[in-house]
Amino acid sequence: MSGTVFNPNPTVFRSSSSSASSRKLLAAKKSLWINESQPSFDQSMEDDEEEAIDQDEIFDLIRNIYDPEHPNTLEELHVVSAPQIDIRENRVKVEFTPTVPHCGMSTLIGLSIRVRLIRSLPTRFKLDIVVKPGSHQSEHAVNKQLNDKERVAAALENPTLVKTVEDCLTGRA
Amino acid sequence: MSSTSDSTERLVRTWMASERDEEITEIVSEISNGSTSLLNVVKALGEYLTSEEETSRTKGVELLSVVLGRCPPERLNRQAARVLTSFYCSKLEDSETVVPALKGLVNLTKLPSSTSEDAPNIMNAIFKHVKMKGLVQSVRFHVFTIIDTLMARHRQVLRDMNDDFIGRYIALVDGEKDPRNLLVAFAIDRVIIIEFDTANFVESLFNITFCYFPITFRPPPNDPYGITTDDLRQALRKCLNATPVFGPLAIPVFLEKLAAGSPTTKRDTLESMSICFPVYGSALARSQARKIWNSLKLEIFQPTDPITEQFALRTTQDLVKTIYDSVDGTDSDIEGLARDACEECITILREPEKSQAKPAIKVLCAFMSTTPSVSRFTVAQTAPYLVQLYIQPDNLAARPSILLLLSDLIAAARDSMNVSKSNDSSSSETPLGPYKDEILGIVSSALKVPSSRDPALACLLGMVSIDNLLSDEELGFIVHNVNEILSEESEEAEEASAPALQLLVTISQRSAHYVKEQTLPLLFSMLPDDAPTRDAALDRAKAWRILSALNTLCRPVELFETLVIRLITKLDLLCVPSESTPPQIDHEPRAAYAHSILTTLHQTLLAKVDDGHGDVAKYIENLVSRLFNLFIYSALMSKEDVSLIATDSRLITVAGQIIGTIMQNTAAQRQESYIQALFSAYLNGQVSLITEGYHKLPPTSNFAPLNDSASAQQRNLVILLASAVIPLHKEIPIPVTDLNVFLGSLLTWSIADITANADIQRESAWEMISAILNKRSADVSSFIESMLHEFWPKHIANRSEPVDRRNRATQAWVWISKALLVCNHAQASQFTDIIFSVFDDGNINWTAAKSFGNIVRTDTVLTKQNHASIKILYAQRFVGRIFPRMIDGAKNASELEKQQSYLVGLTSLISSIPKALYVHEMPTLIPLLVRGLDLPDYNIRSQVIDTFLAVAEGDSPSEIITDHAPSLITTMLKNCSVDKMPSTKVRISALRYLGVLPSIVRYDVLHPYKATVIKQLAVSLDDPKRAVRKEAVDARTKW
Repeated sequence: MSGTVFNPNPTVFRSSSSSASSRKLLAAKKSLWINESQPSFDQSMEDDEEEAIDQDEIFDLIRNIYDPEHPNTLEELHVVSAPQIDIRENRVKVEFTPTVPHCGMSTLIGLSIRVRLIRSLPTRFKLDIVVKPGSHQSEHAVNKQLNDKERVAAALENPTLVKTVEDCLTGRA
Repeated sequence: MSSTSDSTERLVRTWMASERDEEITEIVSEISNGSTSLLNVVKALGEYLTSEEETSRTKGVELLSVVLGRCPPERLNRQAARVLTSFYCSKLEDSETVVPALKGLVNLTKLPSSTSEDAPNIMNAIFKHVKMKGLVQSVRFHVFTIIDTLMARHRQVLRDMNDDFIGRYIALVDGEKDPRNLLVAFAIDRVIIIEFDTANFVESLFNITFCYFPITFRPPPNDPYGITTDDLRQALRKCLNATPVFGPLAIPVFLEKLAAGSPTTKRDTLESMSICFPVYGSALARSQARKIWNSLKLEIFQPTDPITEQFALRTTQDLVKTIYDSVDGTDSDIEGLARDACEECITILREPEKSQAKPAIKVLCAFMSTTPSVSRFTVAQTAPYLVQLYIQPDNLAARPSILLLLSDLIAAARDSMNVSKSNDSSSSETPLGPYKDEILGIVSSALKVPSSRDPALACLLGMVSIDNLLSDEELGFIVHNVNEILSEESEEAEEASAPALQLLVTISQRSAHYVKEQTLPLLFSMLPDDAPTRDAALDRAKAWRILSALNTLCRPVELFETLVIRLITKLDLLCVPSESTPPQIDHEPRAAYAHSILTTLHQTLLAKVDDGHGDVAKYIENLVSRLFNLFIYSALMSKEDVSLIATDSRLITVAGQIIGTIMQNTAAQRQESYIQALFSAYLNGQVSLITEGYHKLPPTSNFAPLNDSASAQQRNLVILLASAVIPLHKEIPIPVTDLNVFLGSLLTWSIADITANADIQRESAWEMISAILNKRSADVSSFIESMLHEFWPKHIANRSEPVDRRNRATQAWVWISKALLVCNHAQASQFTDIIFSVFDDGNINWTAAKSFGNIVRTDTVLTKQNHASIKILYAQRFVGRIFPRMIDGAKNASELEKQQSYLVGLTSLISSIPKALYVHEMPTLIPLLVRGLDLPDYNIRSQVIDTFLAVAEGDSPSEIITDHAPSLITTMLKNCSVDKMPSTKVRISALRYLGVLPSIVRYDVLHPYKATVIKQLAVSLDDPKRAVRKEAVDARTKW
């Protein structure tokens, strides 16, 4: 990787865990009885209710990817967020926001997101990874690169690039 | 005389030919009893020592050295020592005898008769004749040992040699690489550096020590010498920091290694710097401060990893301490590094929301724990600055970040107080004192803004935990502000309630009265009087939130008392509504609400027990009797058509848990008197003694829950009896006329055919029987006999009995066997062995087989807290006896039904015992367990997979798994896809195991299956259950 750092001092946001209160409310909706989490958990595990893949689940998959430049996750840098994910039937669209408009790492970030989702989502989904409109100076080029099947395949033939992507996915800097 | 020297000569000659140990032993014993002397041995060796033949010379000296090593020290006089010294020194010249001669010197120098007079000669001879480069490690070790011994015994003589010694020693050690030798060399180096006049040798000494820095040695596997990298590091560091004169030379080396090294080297360097700074002195530290800080800064602001960052911060602290320790005066004279670095960091804080602000505040926090003057200076610079930053209107968005930084600073101030408190008590004045009003001001306003609430609470938490910082009124002010958060009804306020409660808990440790007078009334008033209706989920969540807040807050003695009174009153009103309350058609919400109140009481009690509070026992007087009052009243007043909610078995169960917890913590004496009153209530209907409380019980009570004709409501109350009996101390007798009869009738009661749902009643009765049997087995031998000879044939083995009744009896059998097994009762094995006899009985064989696991599994009844009689290793003994029989049975395919029973028994047994008990049997077990995965029972399958998972943990040998990897992969894949396996639990376990395989099985074994597994896992990625998909993602990533 080249020595140029595109954004040496990005803003760090605090990541919110799924809130305790909403979990309590959810439990209160399900049952009249306090602390039945254990048995009711087992029940809900064995019932036939189908839990569809939703925004939050996809967000959970990509929030902990590390930024190639910083020891922070994409979530902490607000590069990705749950509302920026859109699911329609078999199409998933993930929008991400580079920290600065000239960020040369955007393609790498996009590629990491794509690799993570290819590995973690059922094959029926088609993926669209795009930068947030207006957030990058060469938005069009980045988007094109990220969603061109051949180019992505070619990129993943490159061992050094694959290693960098792996590092982003596992957090080894 | 001549005869003795003859004998010595003979022995010497024999040894020269045989090299046997016997001769040596004989020579040594002759020397010990005085019949010969070492010099005689030398004489006898004469011809060999001067022999032309090289091996003879070597062996001759060898013999002498070995004998010397074993001789009693007092047998060597001064004269002999002197002779031997010059003898050995002369032998150093001969390349054939140098090795045994050094060996001899090692022994000789340790003897009291070897004196300082000999030391220079020995040293000179070694320096002159011993060529280290040509010798193997063990011989070089002798050299170091000799020097080390001389250094310890005759240091002054070596010091007198000084230049003569140091110069030649440096040449001697040059190039040494072996860790064992280096450990000794480093010790010698340190003595030289500290105690000798090293003026002429600073650079060479620096070279022979710093050339080893940093230590990169890694001990080989199974290293017999057990020298660790850390041993060497510590020994070397003692040389590095032995003298201040190394300072100017050392700093550039350190900085170079720090910049270029791996994380381990960086850490080693940082630690070494830390211990060297104080020795090198403040003058050097001051002059090099800028340069050092620039290097350290890099490690903090662009850290390689969090640990190295921590090390760098600590080194910075040590640097600052070294610089400013000597000049501890007024605050105004802080010049140099601390001032510069502070200003540098504060400049970075100008953008508080950026990522660099974090390391900057870390540096400032680190400064807080250095010297008092630097600490004061840092606070004086940082605290007002952050306050100003907060007030500026254009920083509105950054306010949470600013408060977060401030909270770090406050926490550091608190920690530095703790450090200085342990050092000396002089600086009890907190550096934060002058700024507390300003901080309180902005923080209390920040509490009202949802986004900055969390960091504001963190600031307050830091402040209240600093001694003497806040006044009592100020605490009251904080409690008042925090109460507003608790009473606010919004999602954000709920988010903040956990840290808010933590703050209140901390405050209540100092002044509980504010919490008691302000917070508790508020919370109780927010708790609804009647249960929220079924669809009022929001209200229900709120009630739970308040109860959980009360649970967190009300652990201190004073607050818990209030909690008990308020909640039990609420419970009484809720469970027995007065005439005026509108009747609720739907009982369920009210019962659930009462249940949540009871659960809160129980959890708070458990937390108090964990914290070791002594006031738990006293609640046997009011809380336990109020519970009996309520529940017995409810049972007696309920009629066929209307039943009160306190007859719900779920409520009774929690009440039982409360009673059990209190009884566990009650002294034996009180237990005894209590249990008498309790039995007279349960057996004779005299309830008045145990039921003091709010409700007035009917005067003519017909309370008899153990009667065959008792109502279901009354039968349920056996749960409460059991929970009081189970924790009894061993020595307390059960107040019945004949315990054998009592247990027998209780057992009959427990397996009676009752239409109503009676599982919990039965279970309670069995637990009670088990607890009594375990503690008082000596009193009930006739009961035990009747179990074996009447109960078993009549109720379990009897194939004409109804199946569910037999199953029930088997469950009771489990509890009885368990009680006897745990206390190592002589007849325990009869109880367990007899179970095998029904393995061919298709009706109950699965229940019977599973009972083996249930018998040995640890439970909540026979525990130390319940004062059970638990013998050590009872499980090991049981497993050792049963296991071989199980394995044989599971392998024996002659009777299919039986074999399956054994397999079920085996899996149940394995999943109930610790891994250590079966892991050595794994090679035999794996094929059987894989077969267990084909059993139709999903519970068994998931138990088996969990067993595999347990085996995969830790460092048990994985070769056996490797051999079975292919079949395991296939089976697991079969169990993880939704169309083949309906049980979610099994799917999750199977996926988890697939995820573990890559880390325990070599890649080349797994490679052929990789494509299949990844393809199959893609199916699980689309599983209808989220939890399953999550495991599938993890497993697939690992492959």
